[in-house]
Amino acid sequence: MRLDSSRSLLTRLFILAILVLATPLAIVSFHAMSEFEQGMIPEMDKKAAAIGRDVAAQVSRAIGYGIPIDRLVGVDDFFAPLLDNNPDIRYLAITDGVGRVMFISGAARDELEPHYRSADPGDGTAEGVKSSIGGYLDLALPLLARGQLSGHVHVGFDQGYVASRLRDILADVLVVVAASLIIAFEILLFVVFVNVTGPLKLVGDLLDKARRGDFSHLPAGSSDDEVGRFLRAIQAALRQLDGRYRALMAYVDEVRQAHFDKGVVEKVGAIADRLNFQYRFSSSGKPEVLAERRATDIRLALFLFVFAEELSRSFMPLFAGKLATSLPGLSAEMVMALPIAVFMAAIALSSPWGGRLAERMGPRRLFLWGLVPSVIGSLMTGIAFGVFDLLLWRALTGIGYALVTMACQSYISGALKSDQRAQGMGVYVAAVLTAGITGNALGGVVAERVGYRVSFFISAVVVALAGLLVSRLLAPTETAPRLAADGARHSMRLLRNWRFTVLMLFSAVPSKLALTGFLFFLVPVTLNHGNWDTADIARVMVLYPLSMLAVSPLAARLADRLGWRAGQVALGGLIGGAGMLAPLVLGSGPLGIAAAIICLGISHGMSASPLLAMLPDVCWTECRSLGTTNVLAFVRLMERAGSVAGPLLAAALIPLWGLTGAGIILGAVVLVLAAVFAVASAAYGSGPHIETEEDAA
Amino acid sequence: MSWSLSRKVSVALLGILMSTMLVTGLFGYYKFADVMSAMVNSRYSFVIFTIKQKLEDRLALGLPLRSLRQVQELVELEKTRDEQILGIQIFDTNREVLFDTDRGTIGSRVPPSWLEPLAVQGAQPFALNDDDIAMVGLPLVNTLGKTEGAVVLRYPAAYLEHQLGPLLRRLVGEFALVLAGFGLLAVIAASTLLGDVRSRLGAMTAALDHTLRRNQPPVPVPGAPEFESRFTEFCAKAHEAVEQIGEASDEVERLDRLA
Repeated sequence: MRLDSSRSLLTRLFILAILVLATPLAIVSFHAMSEFEQGMIPEMDKKAAAIGRDVAAQVSRAIGYGIPIDRLVGVDDFFAPLLDNNPDIRYLAITDGVGRVMFISGAARDELEPHYRSADPGDGTAEGVKSSIGGYLDLALPLLARGQLSGHVHVGFDQGYVASRLRDILADVLVVVAASLIIAFEILLFVVFVNVTGPLKLVGDLLDKARRGDFSHLPAGSSDDEVGRFLRAIQAALRQLDGRYRALMAYVDEVRQAHFDKGVVEKVGAIADRLNFQYRFSSSGKPEVLAERRATDIRLALFLFVFAEELSRSFMPLFAGKLATSLPGLSAEMVMALPIAVFMAAIALSSPWGGRLAERMGPRRLFLWGLVPSVIGSLMTGIAFGVFDLLLWRALTGIGYALVTMACQSYISGALKSDQRAQGMGVYVAAVLTAGITGNALGGVVAERVGYRVSFFISAVVVALAGLLVSRLLAPTETAPRLAADGARHSMRLLRNWRFTVLMLFSAVPSKLALTGFLFFLVPVTLNHGNWDTADIARVMVLYPLSMLAVSPLAARLADRLGWRAGQVALGGLIGGAGMLAPLVLGSGPLGIAAAIICLGISHGMSASPLLAMLPDVCWTECRSLGTTNVLAFVRLMERAGSVAGPLLAAALIPLWGLTGAGIILGAVVLVLAAVFAVASAAYGSGPHIETEEDAA
Repeated sequence: MSWSLSRKVSVALLGILMSTMLVTGLFGYYKFADVMSAMVNSRYSFVIFTIKQKLEDRLALGLPLRSLRQVQELVELEKTRDEQILGIQIFDTNREVLFDTDRGTIGSRVPPSWLEPLAVQGAQPFALNDDDIAMVGLPLVNTLGKTEGAVVLRYPAAYLEHQLGPLLRRLVGEFALVLAGFGLLAVIAASTLLGDVRSRLGAMTAALDHTLRRNQPPVPVPGAPEFESRFTEFCAKAHEAVEQIGEASDEVERLDRLA
């Protein structure tokens, strides 16, 4: 096991975490499900008895009037509303005294009659006689007329009904467990990195310096654990060495200044020079403390922040819809779409400002300042009383989101050397994706239990927790690398590059259009329309980050190996657009929606990395003159425009085409734009495009 | 208090384990309580649905709600069939109680809030709460679609708690037992897992101490892990520097004394 690498230790700890989390939860869940089943069955029996009693009373009355049991009229019509209004009841049947089925609704006669003929429920009791027939639980109640047993009324439940209800409970439990494992991974990563591999990596760097005779630095760290003690031993050793060196140098200086023999002075000087040539000690009078910023320092705080924001992902349009059904001049759907659009617009407009603030304030301060609008926005969203103030609070939350994410990007950017930036941004993307999965999934479960409003308060608490982490763990830094220049000034220059413009308009923008318009807006609204609860909506929406996470690493590797980036982006766009048409083939039910979401996740997982990777080639001259960071900032701005337009476009389509139709039209738009890009991508070729520079010259 | 690595990791693991089990247990239990509550409501909805059907059949004959016969007997019969039913009440749109298993309340008025569901719920069952009593109701609608009143069934709100209480206690006990067992296991496993890190760091600290305090060169261990090899090189370099500085100091002192 390498001490200065997180991977091996983290893998072991994560396996341990899975064992100590999953095993007890599996044991307890298994027992709980069994207990729940035992609790539900008597309640089902009571309902079956209530229905059976009522049916038996009415049939007995008819028989009591002298109507033979096989001559009863309208029994099917009598059973129909009972079965329609009680979907948990599978069938109703009436048998005669020897068990022949006279009337039955909801099940096949042949399936049950052999059992009824062989069994003898007798006069039974008022509560009936229960038996298991194939996949059914049957409750038989006697039909008594003038004290004589004339037959039985049978009420049947699916044995799988209880199992289906238990599966619902288990689904919630599994979501919580899966989310907990991801959170456990993030926390363990943080604990291991902050306490073990981070300090030891620093020691490793210092050892490399010292092996070359450079004793000018001390490792930072003062924890009281084993690593802290090890660091202190190294610090003491280096201080001791530094002290001996300085004592010698003081003696050399004294001899140089005070000795009358020039020859001795020269020899002493030569000794000092030889030592200074062999070894390097700090010139500041004492060893300098070496402390390094690492991308992973901010990962847990970023994870918590995005997690908090994602909690409301599955119900934001539904929450807006509850606040107001419509506004003058705006449809109900537009009212539901506006909070998402406003949030995205606030992010788009605040991001360049956030970049400049990061340069001025440093990422730590910006992160903490960004939390102020985020916490206020989340709290006030929780107590919003109308759509207008909701929009205001969402805008405020969006500003906070932009500031915090810019602070994180700035921190990561500053923590890494330029050749490690991609790796650093991997930390950022991984934290955002895992937060997307856990936040979305848990948010649905939490909202269903405590309600939408309380979920926003929980969001605010988690955001504050992220702030606490940053304030306690990140050292203040005064400067930050320049993230973005004024986008507007350079936008025209970038847009004159046709490859860039085509890439933006036919790939980047449509992909965000689909994300916010379809996934963030249409999916919750459509599923809610189908009476899905919030937890189930969230579980379906989680398919997006999951499929993206599954495809993304492979796509990034393929992009690097094959260099077929434009093709990958085009193929991703086509998959996303075609996938959104899935309801046409699979129907507008959950299957069609789930297929569309998975295709969208695959699409974005496939195209996101290659799109970013092809920018330095597509904008070769612009990256050289404006800087890659500024080009990337402008790409983000363009994407945000798609994010703002997505929900608004989808909402505008609903009154014309309905919910499913709006999704299909949106998919068709994305597909057509992706097809245009696919055609254009053939002209992209490979390698840097320098003709723009040549043309300009 | 000294926080060793294994203690830090154990606390993190225990925190995650406790919060996961707590959250999972709470969500699982409340979801189950919801399912049970829906089942109880569904049973009582059926009871009032049958009453509603019988009453609406008679309303269809053109009879006013308050003049219907045998309704009092009907609701009393339904109440006797289920000991959990506290009462069944039928009131009109003027809030006047027309029939009630508790005959003393006939003629009194129900709270105005009880009429609200009739305006918005249509023909769907509605739920009401009054202190410790849960209620499920259905509107009574005549053939012209006009709401004539409602039938409401009362049952103890604590019914579910009585049903679920023993189950909850059993589960809490089981949770505590499993939590304690696996918590202990987590602590032991974390300590074992980090034992290797602890011993390797200890060995390196001792090697450094051996090199600098006792002024003896480090002994390279063949096949040692990369980090330890680099550390041994560092120790060797530090030892060499100490030696060099010592020799230089002796030389300077010797030259100084030449005078």
